[in-house]
Formats: sequence, C-alpha cells, structure tokens
Amino acid sequence: MVAPLLPKTAPFAPDDISALNNIVTRATREQRHWLAGFLSGFDAAQAGPAAAAAARPKVPLTILYGSESGNCESLALKARKAAQKNGFDAKVFDLADYSVELLAKAQNVIIYVATWGEGEPPQRAIDFYSALMSDTAPRLEKLNFAVLALGDTAYAQFCATGKAVDVRLEALGAQRTALRVDLDLDFAKAAAAWTDNTLKAFTPAEPSKVVHVDFKSSGPELDDDEPEFTAEHPLEAEISGLINLNGSGSSRETWHVELSSSARGFVYQPGDAIGVLPTNDPELAAKLLDAVGLGGNAGLIKTLVTSHDITTLSRPVIAAFAKLTGRTDIAWLAQGESFAQYAADRQLLDLFAEHREKLTSAQLFGLLRPLPGRLYSVASSQRAHEGEAHLVIGAVRWNSHGHDRLGVTSTYFADRRKVGDTARIYVKPNRHFRLPEDQARPIIMIGAGTGIAPYRGFIEDRAETGAVGKSWLFFGERNYTNDFLYQLEWQDHIAAKALSRIDVAFSRDQPEKIYVQHRLWERRDEVLGWINDGAHVYVCGDEKGMAKDVDATLVRILGGNEAGTAKLAELRKAGRYQRDVY
Amino acid sequence: MTDNRAKNEIIKENSNLLRGGIAEGLGNVVTGALEEDDTVLLKFHGSYMQDDRDIRAGRSKKKLEKAYSFMIRLRIPGGLVAAKQWIALDDIATTYANGTLRMTTRETFQYHGIIKSNLRRTMQAINAACLDSLAACGDVNRNVMSTANPYLSPVHKQAYDLAKGLSEHLLPKTGAYHEIWLDGEKVSDTSRAAAPEDEPLYGPHYLPRKFKAVVAVPGDNDVDIFAHCLGYIAIVENGKLVGYNVTVGGGMGMTHGELDTFPRTADVMGFCTPDQAIDVGEKVLTVQRDWGNRNVRKHARLKYTVEANGIEKFRAEVEKRTGFKLGAPRPYKFERTGDLLGWRQSADKKWHLTAFVENGRLKDRPGNTARSAVREIAEAAICEFVVTSNQNLMFVNVTAKNKGKIDAILKAHGMPVEASSGLRRNAMSCVALPTCGLALAEAERYLPALVTHIETLLETAGLRDDDIVIRMTGCPNGCARPYLAEIGFVGRGPGLYNLYLGAAFDGSRLSKMYAQDVGEDKILALLAPIITRYAKERLAGERFGDYTIRAGYVAATTAGNNFHANLNLTG
Ligand code: SRM
Ligand SMILES: Cc1cc2nc3c(=O)[nH]c(=O)nc-3n(C[C@H](O)[C@H](O)[C@H](O)COP(=O)(O)OP(=O)(O)OC[C@H]3O[C@@H](n4cnc5c(N)ncnc54)[C@H](O)[C@@H]3O)c2cc1C
Ligand SMILES: Cc1cc2nc3c(=O)[nH]c(=O)nc-3n(C[C@H](O)[C@H](O)[C@H](O)COP(=O)(O)O)c2cc1C
Ligand code: SF4
Repeated sequence: MVAPLLPKTAPFAPDDISALNNIVTRATREQRHWLAGFLSGFDAAQAGPAAAAAARPKVPLTILYGSESGNCESLALKARKAAQKNGFDAKVFDLADYSVELLAKAQNVIIYVATWGEGEPPQRAIDFYSALMSDTAPRLEKLNFAVLALGDTAYAQFCATGKAVDVRLEALGAQRTALRVDLDLDFAKAAAAWTDNTLKAFTPAEPSKVVHVDFKSSGPELDDDEPEFTAEHPLEAEISGLINLNGSGSSRETWHVELSSSARGFVYQPGDAIGVLPTNDPELAAKLLDAVGLGGNAGLIKTLVTSHDITTLSRPVIAAFAKLTGRTDIAWLAQGESFAQYAADRQLLDLFAEHREKLTSAQLFGLLRPLPGRLYSVASSQRAHEGEAHLVIGAVRWNSHGHDRLGVTSTYFADRRKVGDTARIYVKPNRHFRLPEDQARPIIMIGAGTGIAPYRGFIEDRAETGAVGKSWLFFGERNYTNDFLYQLEWQDHIAAKALSRIDVAFSRDQPEKIYVQHRLWERRDEVLGWINDGAHVYVCGDEKGMAKDVDATLVRILGGNEAGTAKLAELRKAGRYQRDVY
Repeated sequence: MTDNRAKNEIIKENSNLLRGGIAEGLGNVVTGALEEDDTVLLKFHGSYMQDDRDIRAGRSKKKLEKAYSFMIRLRIPGGLVAAKQWIALDDIATTYANGTLRMTTRETFQYHGIIKSNLRRTMQAINAACLDSLAACGDVNRNVMSTANPYLSPVHKQAYDLAKGLSEHLLPKTGAYHEIWLDGEKVSDTSRAAAPEDEPLYGPHYLPRKFKAVVAVPGDNDVDIFAHCLGYIAIVENGKLVGYNVTVGGGMGMTHGELDTFPRTADVMGFCTPDQAIDVGEKVLTVQRDWGNRNVRKHARLKYTVEANGIEKFRAEVEKRTGFKLGAPRPYKFERTGDLLGWRQSADKKWHLTAFVENGRLKDRPGNTARSAVREIAEAAICEFVVTSNQNLMFVNVTAKNKGKIDAILKAHGMPVEASSGLRRNAMSCVALPTCGLALAEAERYLPALVTHIETLLETAGLRDDDIVIRMTGCPNGCARPYLAEIGFVGRGPGLYNLYLGAAFDGSRLSKMYAQDVGEDKILALLAPIITRYAKERLAGERFGDYTIRAGYVAATTAGNNFHANLNLTG
C-alpha cells in the first residue's frame, strides 16, 4: 500500500482528493511523469501556443510477452528500456496478466511470444491465446502491432504460436507495423536488431495530437537487470561433483552434478535454471565429417565439437542441404508430413549418411546452427552451498536406425567430463518458479524423476532460513530401491522438520503402475486442505509423462470440470500454481 | 534390582504381543527399513529385514540408504504343498520376490528381496494360498519337519500328522499377525499391556530363544533328528506305529572362539505313545520357557538348558508337568540323513519322485528352467509337492499313468533328477551371501564350484558314486547342519573356512575341526590324500566319516560338550 500523495489540505473536495489519489497512487512512475508534463503543458497551452511544445505527449506502447523459460520476457523488458529511451510511454505485460479487452483499447503493441510443447503457447499465455483465437474476440481496427516469435527449429511446429498470433491479429483488423521474425535458439542479436527497427517503425512522423492515457492497469514492477552470466557471456565453472544417483541395476541413469565458482556474479535463486553450453561427442563429429567427405580433419572436428549443433535434424537444414546438393528427393523430406515422419528419430548424421554427398567445410558450416545451451533446474540453494550450483541430469541415450544416440549435454557430463574439469554455464532466472515470499506458507512440491531438482533447492533454502511453513513432497520414479533420488537427504530433512511430509510413487515395484498423480488423488482431502490453507503448488519434470496428468488430477481435486479448472487458473494467476516442465 | 535380561526380552515385553511399531513402520515411506526393535518382532511374523550385501558399498555416496528388502519364510509343516498352492507360491516369487523359490533345510520356502511396500500384499497373497509365515522365525516353535512324504506309508502319514498337529498346537495366539498383515486394520489399542491369557502357552515373553521340532521315520534320518530341540523317532513294531522315542537338546549354532557355545546332538529322553506325543512336546517347550536362559541369548537354546540341568532332571520335570512317566527308549536304526533321489513306489501303488535341487534354489537358468518345469507340473495338477529337509523337491502321490508326464516335462526343461555325483547328491549349503546378514563367507554361491573340484579327486579315486555328506555354511550358526556332515565347511571370512571331519553318515555323531581358516587350494590339498587313502583302505561298507576317525585324522566327538576337545589341527 502506498501512502496517499495529496494531503487532505489540498485545494480539492475530499471526493476529488481520494479520486485523484486513487489514480495517482496506482499510476506507474512513467504515468506520473507524463501527468506532470501534461498538466504543465496544459497550463502552458492555456497560456498560449508558444509553450505548447513543453508537453510533447509520448506515444503509448504496450509490450506483451508470452514466455515459459524467460527468453521472451527478457526481450520484452529490454524493449521497454529502449522504448522509454526513445520517448515512448511504454508498459510491459505478461500475457498472463493481460486480456483481449485491454488489447482492444490499446493502440500500439509489440508481442514477444514463444512456442512450447508441440507447437503450443506457453502455459501462462494459454488463456489470452484462446481468447484471441475465439470467435468472440473483439475487432482490433485501432491496433497497430508487431510480433516476434521465439522457437526452436528442432521442433516440427517452429514458432507456431507467434505465427498464429501474427495472422490472427491481422484477421481481426489490426495493422502490422513491422514484419514478424521467427527466431531460433540463437536469437539474441537478431532479436535486438528487430526491436530497434520495430520501435523506429512505431515512432510517428510527428507527435500525435490525441493524448491517450490508460490508467486502467499498471504492469507489475519487474527488475529487468540481466544476470551477470548469460549464454553470450558464460561462466567457466568447475565440476566439483559428479555422481550417478541411481543404484546399481537401475534402469535409470541420473547424474548429480556439482558446479562451483568463486565469481561474485555467480548468484541464483532456488527455482532458477542453470544453462549449460556443452560440447559434442567427438566420435559423432568425426562420423559426420566422414559422411560428407571431410573425414580425418582434426581442426574441423574441434570446431564441430565446440560450437555447432551437429545432432538436430531441422526442416531448414534439410532444405538447405537439398538446395546445396540439388536433390529433389531430399527437398521432399523437408515438406510437412514427410519431415515430421523422417526427422522423428533421426539426426543430422542420418541425413548425411543416407544421402552420401560431398560438402566443402564452408558449405557444411553454412548448414549448421550454433550449438545451443541446455537448461537445468538448479537443485541447490546457495545458502546451503556457497558458490555452488547443483544439477540433476537424466542421461539421454537411445538407439534408432542402427545408431546409438547420445543426448549432447547429459552425456557431456555423464561420459565426457570428470570432476575437476570445467563447464561453461549461465544463470537463467525463473521468476515464475519461486518459494513464496511468506515463509509461513505451506508448499506442495510435485515432481517425477529429475523433476525433484528444484525441490532439493527449495528445502535446502527453507532449512537454512528456518522457514516455518509446512512442506509436502510428492516424488515419483521407477523403483524404490534404486531410484529414490536423494533418499538420505530427505530422511535428514524430515528428521530436522525442514520437510514435513513425503509421498512416493514407484511405478515398477508392483503389478499395477503407480504415479505421483495417484498418490495426490489418494491424499486429495489433505491436499485440498493444504491448498485452502494457502499452500503454493509446484509441478516440475516431464511435460508429457507427468505434468499433464498431475494437472488433470489437481483439477479433479479442486472440484472437477469447469469449477476445478477455474480454481486452478485462479491459483495460477495468484502465482500459487507454478510449473517448471520440459 | 538391575535387569540383566537380554535386550530382546524387553522388546518382547513391550511389544503388546508382537505388535510393536510394525504397522506404523510399514507406513513410513521415506525408508525401506523398519525400526530395529520392530525387526526383532517381525521375525515372529516370519520375516527378516535384510539388505543386499553385494552392493552395500557406495550406496551412501549415491545418497541412497542400504538396499533393504525382506525375507519371508513360510510355515509348512512336513513340507507338503498342494498343486494349487504351488502355483500361487510361484506367482508370488515373480510378482514380489527376486524370482526364486528357496527351499530351506527345514522343509519350507523362503522368499528374498521383497521391498517394504510389498510386504503386506505378499503376506496377503501367501494367506490367499492357505499358507502363512506365522512363527516361521522368532523365539517360538518353528516349522516342524517330518520325514519326507506322508504318502509313502501310513506311518509316514502319522508322522506328518504329528508334525502338523504339533505346529498348530504350538502356534502363538496373538492377533498381531492378522491385524498387521491381513485385515490391515489399525492395530488394536497398543497402550494396553498384553495379558498372559492372550498367549496362554508362551506368555508375553515367548521363549528365551527359537525352538525346533522334528519327526523321523527310521531308517530315514533326513530330518537330522539329533540337531533339534525336540525330536520324535517313530517306533514301528510289526508294521504299526506304537509310539515315539522323544529326543531333546539338539542344536547346531555356536560362535567362533567361544568354547562355551557348541553344537550338540540331542539325548533320547524316553518313549511316549502317539496320543501322548503333543502333550509331551508342549511340556518340553514349557520347561524350556521357564528354565531357559533369558539373560544370555547365546546360551538360551534348549540344548544348553539340558546340558546345564542334565537329561534326568529335565525328564523328571517334563514328567511332572505331563503327569505321566515316559517309557524306556525302544530300539531304532537310522540308515542315512540324505534323500534317495529318483522314483519310488509306495504300497498303494502310487509313485513318488525326489528331484535334486542344488542348495534348494529353484530358479530358471539357461538350459535348466527348473522353476518353470515345476510350475508346469503343478498346472498339470497330477501330483502334490514335498520340500525335503535336504533342500530337495518331491513330486508325490502320482499315478502310474502320470509318471511319464512328469519325466517328460522335467526333461523338456532340462531339470535333472539326479546329481552329478554321490557327493553332490549329499551336498547342502546355507544361503549366506548376499542376503544373510550374519554371513562371514560365501556358501550357496560357492559350494557347487567346490564340489566340482572335489568331484575330480573322487573321480580319480573311483568314488564318484559313493554317498559322502558334505555341507557348508557361511558362519558358525550352522543353518545347513554342517557339524553333522562327513565333510563340513564353516565360514570364517571371505574365502576362508574351518574344515570339519568325522561326523556319522546316519547323523548320530558330530564332526570335529580338522583345519582352520583354509581356502580352496588348501582345502583340496588336504582332502586329496584322505580321499585316496579312503578309497584304498576303507573296510567293507565303511563310511567316509567313520574312516577319517579310524585313520586318525580327527578324534570322534561323542557329545556336544567335547566338540571343541581333542583337537589336533593340521596345516
Ligand atoms: C534358510 C536357512 C538355511 C538354508 O539354506 O536353508 C536358514 C537361514 C538363516 N538362518 Fe538358520 N536357517 C535355516 C536353518 C537353520 C538350521 C538347521 C535346522 O534348523 O535344521 C540351524 C541349526 C539348528 C539350530 O537351530 O541349532 C540354524 C541355525 C541358525 C542360527 C543359530 C541358532 C543358534 O542357536 O545358535 C541363526 C542365528 C540366530 O538365530 O541368532 C540362524 C539365522 C538364520 C538367518 C535368518 C540369518 C539371520 O538371523 O539374520 C538366515 C537367513 C539367511 C537368508 O538370507 O535366507 N540360523 N538355521 C534355513 C531355514 C530353516 C527354516 O526354514 O526354518
Ligand atoms: C526449464 C527447463 C528445465 C530443465 N531441467 C532439467 C533438469 O533439471 N534435469 C534434466 O535432466 N533435464 C532438464 N531439462 C531438459 C534439458 O534441458 C535437456 O533437454 C535434456 O537434458 C536433454 O538434453 P541433451 O543435450 O542431453 O539431449 P539432446 O542432445 O538435446 O537430445 C534430446 C533430444 O533427443 C531426442 N530424443 C531423446 N530421446 C529420444 C528417443 N528415445 N527417441 C527419439 N528421439 C529422442 C528428442 O528430440 C530430445 O529433444 C530442462 C529443460 C528446461 C527447458
Ligand atoms: C519442452 C519444450 C518444448 C518446445 N516446443 C517448441 C515447439 O513446439 N516449437 C518451437 O518452435 N519451439 C519450441 N520450444 C523452444 C522454445 O520456444 C524456445 O526455447 C524459446 O526460446 C523459449 O522462450 P521462453 O524462454 O520465452 O519461453 C520448446 C522448448 C521446450 C523446452
Ligand atoms: S549359517 Fe550363517 S551364513 Fe549361513 S544362513 Fe545361517 S546365519 Fe547365514
């Protein structure tokens, strides 16, 4: 609560005072500045044309973002900074806090939106997205817009959400001020350039006379300062611990990775993710080079290993390869269905190996995108481990089309790194997966497999701060004896009352499969009780494998169908239902 | 006054008749273990908490507790199992245990590797098969053995009925077993201290130690009558069972280096008629209940009670409690302790097959899918099964026309009936590693290999088909009754064993230590000359055990109390 600005002694009627306060207190800093400028300008205007210029009303600009892991969010925040410098009256909103009604009132919007799942909008943007797509969406004739889409060419539905939004806005009558770009994981430079040009495009030839003030709502005050270490400027951290957590004879391979650095800027909060810039498997690099007739060149291997994505088989790569080689049979593989089918469990190597074509090194590098980093939910609290970040990494290995495949980053740790080596990492803040400010709040943590990661950080943090809030962990894996990740630590936390309750679901210990959602359901009354007591609910781990079912179960627990769905949406809006799924 | 009682006595006392905190412990999901005190009580329910000793090291580095799991031992008096029950037991092995059925030296089964979260449902599955594990372990009367196969003759049937009757009669009466495992009901008011009348026979402290009973039908001494607290030797006069010689005070277990612990062959206490048998057994048990040592568990077995008081005094007390005198022992003659493998026909023209199962571990191996074979036979519903006290399996009560079926199925699965030699046929080993928490050395996983080595010695000596009893245990507790073997090995440490010789082939005489802390090479070096000389010098029908005494390798052990005496160790 902000104290009223106008004193009771102000020369207004009490109603007017409260009315003004009502507005002014809710206004953002920019709004208040603008208002100041406006009022002086207003007087000046009364005084005569000469002074009118003093109040050069700013162009309103609404910057929206739909983001899951924070990329679009930080692009949006950067854009606001730039916009303000360029004299815009710029506000930023998470699509989670925005509505099509507001959009209908807005004048200029820039939308940064990512695509998740299999071509779906980010979780928190779903409500807005469906409203926008529905037949009842309002017309948007007054609106000028521009869309930047983030995505990953590794996915069949590249930037699907951004594309759909862009098309829909036009269909609803809005004017496209700048052309959409669809950016891959290496978006940083291109995105910055696009933002600059787009802002220029929104700058009117001459200041508009219409003064539009929208006091309706004010964006959440977000700190937009970048973490010190980013994908562009990573931290060289030491690998100080590397343990396969699964018991011998387990069907799983889950690595506990400890990264340490004394760098002052190496800070994160539980719930954040740590980005890792891996290197490739040299053997794979060699095979790839052989396949295109560049074999036996140590130099080339080194470059491939350190800086290029040599596994992802994306539509653009196939298309480019087809173009280079002029082979229509390959070009065809980049088409709609056939691509999805062909790329499903193939990698770049298959493309090259199956269609023996010689390439020059220049041509090869022309095809490859930079090696993207991978994110890992941080599994520690720096309160408990100063200068360290722990990760829980599931080794990705599979065989398809006669090749043994290795997940680049997971096996980078599992197979190609040892304690004492270094790794290039960065911090990826996740403002949407955080412990409650209020330490007395109960928390319910639901996760399967590596989804346990952030909860280890949460509980370590709460143990250190002596938080009084109750905590309840639901953990699922395959076999109790070999896959109970961090079992001894949970035992200690329970003994120390840092963790209040734990329920486990091991799917393969008995004839019938038991998963976390089944445990949730068994405990539904207590779970509901905790939620009614203000508990924050967290879900972390595999999207397809778990999060969807947990979501459905929570809906059932909260009353089922519409009622339950609404209640869950409510919780999400209130920041009490947070997900970190992948 | 200070309480000198053994810790277990206090645990039993406070357990509200074997309930303790077991039910709560089962609900604690953060650990796969139970509270230590509760594991003591759990034994009375037929289950032991164990952990996989093969992988103990390194678990904590992985932030995992020990790989806890539970062993469940069934109570199957006389070892008789119906075909339907077999199928259920086989299913349980696959669904909840480690995929094996382990036939024990006491005519029953053990499951290994059952995790805590499956313990209750396993118990329920066992119960659904009309079996239980109540009192299979713990300070109570254990599974009662009888000479294999009630279908062999009417006398065998009577012996079996006595074993079954005695087992039922001596069962604890506490409702704990049902509450915890079957109803799943919350355990009834634990605050209330247990009243003795809830456990009329045992009382709230049960026995000072385990209590074991067997029934033997001579000439078979397959049950090793002299190795147990209480034994009945069937006395048959002109084809009819007239009664039993009652034996008391046998036992195997001892502790390395503690000379006041020793294996002991039972004394023959006297003769009783069939209708007196159960009463006599009950009174033997109550005397042990009241006289047994409750301060030092190592001296708490009945054998020490008898040793301390003398057989006369003990008999007198039993007679006082029964109210009748025991007759003088009648003559009897035992031939062997091992099983006769192969088919055997009974007077009623039914057929019975005894098949060799190495160390009682029934599982599918490449080329020998024994477990599937037996399962298939069970599904054919053409026989019943008997687990023998030598860890072998019998297919009993088979009609002549089904005999061939069984042979065919065994053949198809590569399950041999015979063992590769007379030595292996008479070989037994305990479980030991990796599940047994007390093992000092390998046994079940090692004896087969050692036997193979010794077989080559026997081969050269021309003794491949001679019956020689060889047994190995991973520690001195003696679970495979090694001190009654002609060649006995008792684990001392990894790869090291004490070697015992000189026991009687019919189970009537204990062995004596011949060499200490010997490994494989030494063992073979020591046995080679003995075997060669035995082949040359043995008298007509002279047994290996008897020979080693006559030849002076070891002195004869005439009673438990001179087991440690007259040693003259080689090596
Ligand atoms: C399974 C079996 C051996 C086998 O390979 O078949 C066995 C296995 C164990 N015995 Fe035994 N005993 C087994 C027959 C015996 C016998 C032989 C007999 O009863 O005919 C003996 C010697 C006779 C006797 O009791 O004196 C025997 C004397 C012991 C002892 C020593 C008792 C003593 O008085 O010193 C222990 C240790 C103890 O009780 O403290 C013991 C303890 C054990 C335990 C439960 C170890 C423990 O206490 O933690 C072993 C479980 C190992 C595992 O992983 O399965 N077991 N145990 C036998 C199960 C019998 C049954 O079905 O009830
Ligand atoms: C916010 C966030 C947090 C995350 N937290 C964690 C965490 O805490 N722990 C963790 O382990 N991971 C986490 N991940 C996932 C992680 O980022 C990586 O995606 C994962 O480790 C795989 O990376 P990789 O380089 O080893 O495999 P990659 O080289 O990226 O290969 C993975 C790809 O291979 C393909 N693939 C995998 N298996 C098969 C198969 N059987 N058949 C066919 N194709 C297959 C799929 O296309 C898959 O995307 C997180 C992801 C995000 C976005
Ligand atoms: C689980 C998962 C699914 C994804 N699915 C898609 C997809 O279907 N199409 C796509 O173009 N990008 C997809 N991406 C890539 C993201 O859109 C990309 O990482 C983007 O930078 C995320 O932006 P954000 O941090 O603002 O959410 C996916 C990423 C993850 C981790
Ligand atoms: S003899 Fe010793 S090692 Fe063997 S099973 Fe018995 S207690 Fe275990």
